[in-house]
Amino acid sequence: MAKIWQIIKHEYIKHVFTKRFLFGLLSLPLMICLMFAVVLIVTAFSLNTEPVGIIDHAGILQEISPPTEKGSPFNPQITFLSYDSEDQANSDLNAGTIQAYYVIPENYPQNTQVILTFNEEPDSGVQSQFTQLIRTNLEPFRDMDPQIWERLQSGNNITTLSLDNSREVKQDQWYLILLPFIAGILFIVVVMTSGGYLLQAVVEEKENRTMEIVVTSVSPNKLMAGKIIGNISVGLTQLIAWLIFGWIALKVGGRFWPILGEFSLPMNYILILLLTLLPAFIMVAAIMAAIGSTMTEIQEAQQVSSLVSLSMTVPFYFSNMFMMNPNGPFATALSFFPLTSALTLLMRIGFTVVPTWQIVVIIAILILSALAAVWFAGRAFRLGMLQYGKKLSIKEVLRRGQKA
Amino acid sequence: MTIVNVSDISKKFGELKAVDQLSFEVQPGEIFGLLGPNGAGKTTTIRMILDIFEPDSGEIQVLGGSMTEEKKNQIGYIPEERGLYQDIPLERCLTFLASLKGMPENQSKSELEAYMKRFDLYEYRNQKVKELSKGMQQKAQLISALVHDPQLVIIDEPFTSLDPVNTEMVKDLLVSKRDEGKAIIMSTHQMNQVEELCDRILLIDHGHRVLYGSLQEIQKQFTSRDILVTPIDPLPETIEGVSEVKKLNGRYRLILEEQAQPNQILKNLINSGFELTEFEIAVPPLNEIFIQVVGKKEDEQHG
Repeated sequence: MAKIWQIIKHEYIKHVFTKRFLFGLLSLPLMICLMFAVVLIVTAFSLNTEPVGIIDHAGILQEISPPTEKGSPFNPQITFLSYDSEDQANSDLNAGTIQAYYVIPENYPQNTQVILTFNEEPDSGVQSQFTQLIRTNLEPFRDMDPQIWERLQSGNNITTLSLDNSREVKQDQWYLILLPFIAGILFIVVVMTSGGYLLQAVVEEKENRTMEIVVTSVSPNKLMAGKIIGNISVGLTQLIAWLIFGWIALKVGGRFWPILGEFSLPMNYILILLLTLLPAFIMVAAIMAAIGSTMTEIQEAQQVSSLVSLSMTVPFYFSNMFMMNPNGPFATALSFFPLTSALTLLMRIGFTVVPTWQIVVIIAILILSALAAVWFAGRAFRLGMLQYGKKLSIKEVLRRGQKA
Repeated sequence: MTIVNVSDISKKFGELKAVDQLSFEVQPGEIFGLLGPNGAGKTTTIRMILDIFEPDSGEIQVLGGSMTEEKKNQIGYIPEERGLYQDIPLERCLTFLASLKGMPENQSKSELEAYMKRFDLYEYRNQKVKELSKGMQQKAQLISALVHDPQLVIIDEPFTSLDPVNTEMVKDLLVSKRDEGKAIIMSTHQMNQVEELCDRILLIDHGHRVLYGSLQEIQKQFTSRDILVTPIDPLPETIEGVSEVKKLNGRYRLILEEQAQPNQILKNLINSGFELTEFEIAVPPLNEIFIQVVGKKEDEQHG
């Protein structure tokens, strides 16, 4: 065990404490920060700060006080102007004095419906400030029917129901649909990075003959296991660092866009995420190591490994199809194919309820595939490491593995 | 305890028989020369001893039994084609390789420091391996094979890339290891080094054992009827009992007639008034034996 630990440590330090790794680690969050910054600046400049009119037929607004807070550049405080008639508001809207006007109908306490009229749809900040204004003015209605009070207080919340009513995605759980895509992209980037390191390590060690010295100190299987775990740890470090960056981004972003602050993941989703992505990660790493063991040149190995990465991205190309028919035969079939199953499953979970038996079978397939890939990599490695300058075929690995 | 006991091993690669029913032993406290022309099966034999390959048939015992992970800690190995991690500092590379031999870091640190100082590498310890010269890398490789004080050291071509000063240093080191009771298997084509260092040799060709035994015994087998003499005055062109007189650099090589005896020739020379500073029965250089044996086999194969 001590030797495996030494190999893990060696692989980890070799890759993590390099400028290349640091650059890779920081480039993604920096790019996202840059995109955020651009979006923020563009948003700030394009925000409409013109006043908004209100015609209150229900008589719930006692007074419309001028804004007390200054607001932020991304959420400027809007001035609300009171109008007596819609004609008057309409003409101001057309004249451009106001950007929109709300009409609060007489029956507002019963159905909480308002009518918004605009030439160009106001920003979301206008809507939330209007809701806030209504809420602060509702105090006199506190004594009325408690049901109405409750309704008025809660405001509107759009809820989307799936057809069979088995699950619902609330408006504030938008990220469950987005998450598989983000997780998928991060997963592929991380897997390919650490898989790439592994591939390079194996081919290089074969090329510079370090391998021969190392296997006279430790068994090929231990060496392979150490290398795979070491490089996976490198990938996980990258992933965890990005998750921390992401969490910080959500917290910081939440101050500007409240919708980001609502982000939280259900435990069962996290569990499925771990149980699928981890074996998938180990499987791909082992496949990379096997490719590295059987190929003689790094370029050649990279070409072959790009086929693996390409097939992993297949679920993305069919995301539309998955969205429309997440439990259809194609989506289900891709969930059972080891290279695509992790991503397909995550995407399907984002769109529908996947039967539990399928989830269990998929996780089992992934774990078995990971074990098989590690076994195959060990065998390919034992044969391939000493066949300098000669490629190994899959058949040879299977046939000769036992004798070598 | 016999350090390495190889009995009747064979290994085929496809149709090619790389090693064919080979047997030999390596004892503690000896430098054992594993010799043979290119492609003779030396590297395959070494790899089988090291458990990188399994023999198709036959048995190998290392340190009294089959190879285990613990026994690997008792072996130091330098392959023919050198291999060190190129992109990391020298000291880190050596520490890692020592840790794979079961050396705790605090122990390897002091040992490595001593070795690096001995080989003039200490000031380069923080440099990346690829920045070091070939000779320096070779010395670093030797350190990695010796730092854990193994019972068995296997070195393929130990003197390549070394200058004469370092060659002497490595020779002294190998001799001192032998004197400590370690077994050293040395595979090389430099026959002068074999003559100087090896106690016993095994010469293989086409996977077969051709010569095996102590260096002296083998040289005795090939001893010719030539005499080497160094006289103070020049020798005449004809001497009784000598079929040919060859002038070497300040010496003479006398090729004797069929019936002539060396001590008779010595008597004749002294009686003729020649003063000699050296008289010896010519032992054929290993190089010649190698060429003679391997060449003969080649001829047999082609003829």
